[in-house]
Amino acid sequence: MNDVKDFRTVRVTFRKRGRARYISHLDLNRTMTRAVRRAGLPIWYTEGFNRHPYLTFASPLSLGFEGERETMDIRLEQEMDLDELATRLNAVMPEGLEVIGAAWAVKKAGEVDRATYRVEIACPADTVRALLEKDEILVQKRTKKKDYKTVDLKPALAVSNPTVTETENGCVLEFTLPCSSAETVNPSLVMTALEKVDEKAPLVYTVRRLAVLDKDGEIFG
Amino acid sequence: MSVTLEQLFDKVQKPARYTGGELNSVVKDKSKVNVRFAFCFPDLYEVGMSHLGMKILYGLKNAVEDFWCERVFAPDTDMEALMREHHVPLFALESRDPIREFDFVGFTLQYEMCYTTILNMLDLAGIPLLSSERGENMPLVVAGGPCAYNPEPLADFFDLFIIGEGEEVNLELMELYREHKKRGYSKAAFLREAAQIEGVYVPSLYDVTYHEDGTIASITPQNGVPATVRKRIIRDMDTAYYPESFVVPFIDIVHDRAMTEIFRGCIRGCRFCQAGFIYRPVREKSVDTIDRQSRCLCETSGYEEFSLSSLSTSDYTHLEELLKRLLSWAEKEHTNITVPSLRVDGFSEELANRLNVLRRSGLTFAPEAGTQRLRDAINKNLTEDEILGTAAKAFAGGWTSVKLYFMMGLPTETMEDIVGINELGQKIVNCFYRNPDKPKGKGVSVSVSVSCFVPKPFTPFQWEPQDTIEQLREKQKVLRESVTTKKISLSWHDAETSYLEAILARGDRRIGKALLEAFRRGFNLDAWSEHFKFDEWMDIFREVGLDPDFYACRRRAEDEIFPWDHLDIGVTKAFLLAENRKAHESATTPNCRQECSHCGATRFKGGICVERR
Repeated sequence: MNDVKDFRTVRVTFRKRGRARYISHLDLNRTMTRAVRRAGLPIWYTEGFNRHPYLTFASPLSLGFEGERETMDIRLEQEMDLDELATRLNAVMPEGLEVIGAAWAVKKAGEVDRATYRVEIACPADTVRALLEKDEILVQKRTKKKDYKTVDLKPALAVSNPTVTETENGCVLEFTLPCSSAETVNPSLVMTALEKVDEKAPLVYTVRRLAVLDKDGEIFG
Repeated sequence: MSVTLEQLFDKVQKPARYTGGELNSVVKDKSKVNVRFAFCFPDLYEVGMSHLGMKILYGLKNAVEDFWCERVFAPDTDMEALMREHHVPLFALESRDPIREFDFVGFTLQYEMCYTTILNMLDLAGIPLLSSERGENMPLVVAGGPCAYNPEPLADFFDLFIIGEGEEVNLELMELYREHKKRGYSKAAFLREAAQIEGVYVPSLYDVTYHEDGTIASITPQNGVPATVRKRIIRDMDTAYYPESFVVPFIDIVHDRAMTEIFRGCIRGCRFCQAGFIYRPVREKSVDTIDRQSRCLCETSGYEEFSLSSLSTSDYTHLEELLKRLLSWAEKEHTNITVPSLRVDGFSEELANRLNVLRRSGLTFAPEAGTQRLRDAINKNLTEDEILGTAAKAFAGGWTSVKLYFMMGLPTETMEDIVGINELGQKIVNCFYRNPDKPKGKGVSVSVSVSCFVPKPFTPFQWEPQDTIEQLREKQKVLRESVTTKKISLSWHDAETSYLEAILARGDRRIGKALLEAFRRGFNLDAWSEHFKFDEWMDIFREVGLDPDFYACRRRAEDEIFPWDHLDIGVTKAFLLAENRKAHESATTPNCRQECSHCGATRFKGGICVERR
């Protein structure tokens, strides 16, 4: 019998857009499991009492965010052509999920370090600039123990080279934020801070994660 | 609309309940569609999406090129508040169009406690609640499902009801509508003609009068309208429509798996059970059909699990053959099969192990009553020996817990029967300790769940009074005090909910006033205990001048005209009355496979009534 560890991990890259942004991380796992089954891929099942296809995501995406280059790792039980794998999987995806590639995984999931985001905001570019120029940007962050602590976003934002571009309906903010097992800053925290700058109306925005990067700034995938 | 739906989705719990776009959901070009149907399930997405009937009718209607059926569920309270705040009318998931623009708005009536949710959904859709207040520019509001067998409490709100199985009659109705639309639709003319379709009941075409004591004096059809409406059935289950794919939800729902119906109806005839009578006669699918349909559904959905659906799986004629056939591919593909309501006795151990029967559902029995006498009275054929024998086998296999389901408040019940519930539990406990190989250091746990009996239309108990809430509480107390061991744990359904169910289940048209008032007071999602307000319900009945006990706790005279007497399920009232009398003598009736008891269902010339026994 083959040792399971010999089977190489395939990293599937996909987009998550439109209605699919409302699929939560947990639900995405189930959705992908079923897609892999529909595609009839020779996927490896975990051993044990409750056998299920092995499937992991390097970095969970928050509910409501779109993703331009998300990744999912699966393991195969037999060799198979990866282009064919991507094509077959793409053919059975629900609306909004689109497979854009599959490759043998090289980097380990633990190498994920940060991510770049593109946020469309229905507010003037100057409001955003005013926020970014502050000396400290304090927001309340929910902790795992379900209480709140105050964090300063300024250090993280300062190294992230944020760019603000004016658009017809407001502006677009692009930045990079930490996204590793040691530290993660959710872009919605920046929006929370922005809401405090201009309290006139609830802020309307959409977040798209453009890419997940490793320590060296290379695209993870 | 000043706010987009997306902006609402961003603010609510589980937005994927409202977004649509699930795999296998059907989106059509509405310029090429002639009849649009909003299939509404009056409960949350997670409940409604688990319902097999909706999946069948959704696929069936969408298989017709110029019909488009979409799904609608009750929004949860957070979403509803936002919709009302921003004036967003109730929309269908596929097109996101307001359902008041549709041709049909159809509700499935699965349980009485959803009635207020229906009214709330209509209101949220901007559709007038009363049929009489809806003109030509409003959708036809229709309903089907088990509660449509006594639709009278809802008669004021619906334009028509579909009685019986929906596969054929839904299409006939939509075809007729398409024709009327072509030549100029008028609601009155359409309803008149629809009433001629077998299985279609148009309540506004029937006049009801009452005696002074509140019972019904007459139900009179208007000119040219059939005096009785007979239910529809599908005669041959092998050729009946069955969907090739299910909509696969993103979020976790109550029953998140493929389902294959293996037969309709039930041979048993338990006297409390409405399903056992309204779905007669029993009609099975062949092993080939079930195998083909199950496989197809798993392939198109990717589901890792499918279940066999019926009222009593163990009664399927070729069960072992079927399961072996299904397992032959399911095991290879890592697909689990769940077999609900399986009687483990007389079932091969090898097969039980392959199915993982016990690991999935544990060991469960539904004796329904605590003594053999009462089990005979309700015609529940499950004996103590069968229960103890199966339990002993399971204990020998290392199992340590058993679940038992009972009802209290059954006709002819005495305190002896109530105490009998505990005695049966105790015998199972004793059975565990008699086992010489019982696992070391482990105790046994017997959990006993007791619901309150609700008399239902079209059952032998339709004449019976429900116990009062006080009687039920007294019985609960006696039962609680009879249990002397911690190895038996008790739980029960709330008597107040069952009381309201009993009022609505056998209610007449006058109940509509109470429902309307409940809606005005903002009642919604009553099936969820956190939303259920019993005392206010009682206020409402007082206010509209109705006596709830008249509906729930009154013994009916044998010749009383019931609100549902102009509907015909095939089974005769005479047969039900004979069954009622036998119940009072604790006499049993053989099941349909043993011998025919001449209930009347043979008139459908289908299933077990025409097969060789």
